[in-house]
Amino acid sequence: MATTTATISLNSSDITGDPLSLSKTATLTKAQGTDGLNQFTGITTLVYSGAQTATPLVLAASYVDTTVAHKVYIRNTSTSAVDFINIEIGSSNTILGRLYAGDWAFFPWDGTNDIDIDTSGALTVEFGVFSQSAVSA
Amino acid sequence: MATTTATLTLSSADLVGNSLNLSSASALNKAGTNTGLDQASGLSRKQTSSVDTYTVYKADEYTANKAHKVYLKNISTTATEFFTVTIDDAELGRLYAGDFTFFPWAAADGVKAAFTVTFAATWATDDTAVFDGVTITLAATETVAAMAILVGAAKYPNFTAAVTATGVVTFTAKDSNDLSLIEEGAASDDYVITTAGNGTGTVARTVAPVASSSDIKITPSVATAMTLESMLIFEA
Repeated sequence: MATTTATISLNSSDITGDPLSLSKTATLTKAQGTDGLNQFTGITTLVYSGAQTATPLVLAASYVDTTVAHKVYIRNTSTSAVDFINIEIGSSNTILGRLYAGDWAFFPWDGTNDIDIDTSGALTVEFGVFSQSAVSA
Repeated sequence: MATTTATLTLSSADLVGNSLNLSSASALNKAGTNTGLDQASGLSRKQTSSVDTYTVYKADEYTANKAHKVYLKNISTTATEFFTVTIDDAELGRLYAGDFTFFPWAAADGVKAAFTVTFAATWATDDTAVFDGVTITLAATETVAAMAILVGAAKYPNFTAAVTATGVVTFTAKDSNDLSLIEEGAASDDYVITTAGNGTGTVARTVAPVASSSDIKITPSVATAMTLESMLIFEA
């Protein structure tokens, strides 16, 4: 059983009256249990030479779904402030949000909807999927 | 300009052949700039007590297509308890006990319904106009212009109202998810006018509503108490 941890730190001395210093760690486990997620795509780097529209990034058909605790990591590695990635969910391409230069996202994914992206132009996307090989009982 | 950093560290000694030790740090900037996001909701917690769907953040309340960031965490320690996170009706994933998520949010707006009421003829003492639970009763005979001013100045629970031309009031829904279509015509069942004389108020739809497709919602897996921790960092 693998043990994978994810830690988020949010820090700011001036976005609110009191300093923001949040740090949370989660152990990435399978749904409804304590066994660790056992599959990982590795961190993949994709270089796009031009703007993309609804380009598939993570395909639901490749994963078990519903009673799962998959996690998706996506990062826009651009250093140009105007470059962004739209993350889209499902066949209607519902836009989750925009990752601008250097931004990252880490979110749960239940494998029922494809994850697509649009890009504002040529840029590089880094992503990885932590998943479980079978649906939790 | 505020400076906020978000750092994600992913670590595992045994998930793959080589140890995993990824760290990504990002300065949270406004869309398309190097200026930091300058607004935050503050860290909050909400305890749920049913398996109903709860709206955590409403897109109508934020500017669309910016660089907003959302943090959510399931505080539960019971492994089987989860929140299903959806972007409007699009299912994203399940946030199990102890899990957190951090993602960008488009806050794409819906379209708020709007309609006009055009007042005409003579408005007499004790005539009434009733809409959205608000009743306006005239204390004296009024011109159509004065009638419109009275109607436009009233406060409605679910709509804003403004005089947009002489004798014309435009009503706009406060929430794009209010999909009620107000019945049109001079004898609307939704905008009810009672006159002793010949006063009229003709309702005409000007904007058909479209629900927001970007509200962030959670659905608890159990009806017993679960707690969601959340924070929104955003820009105007």
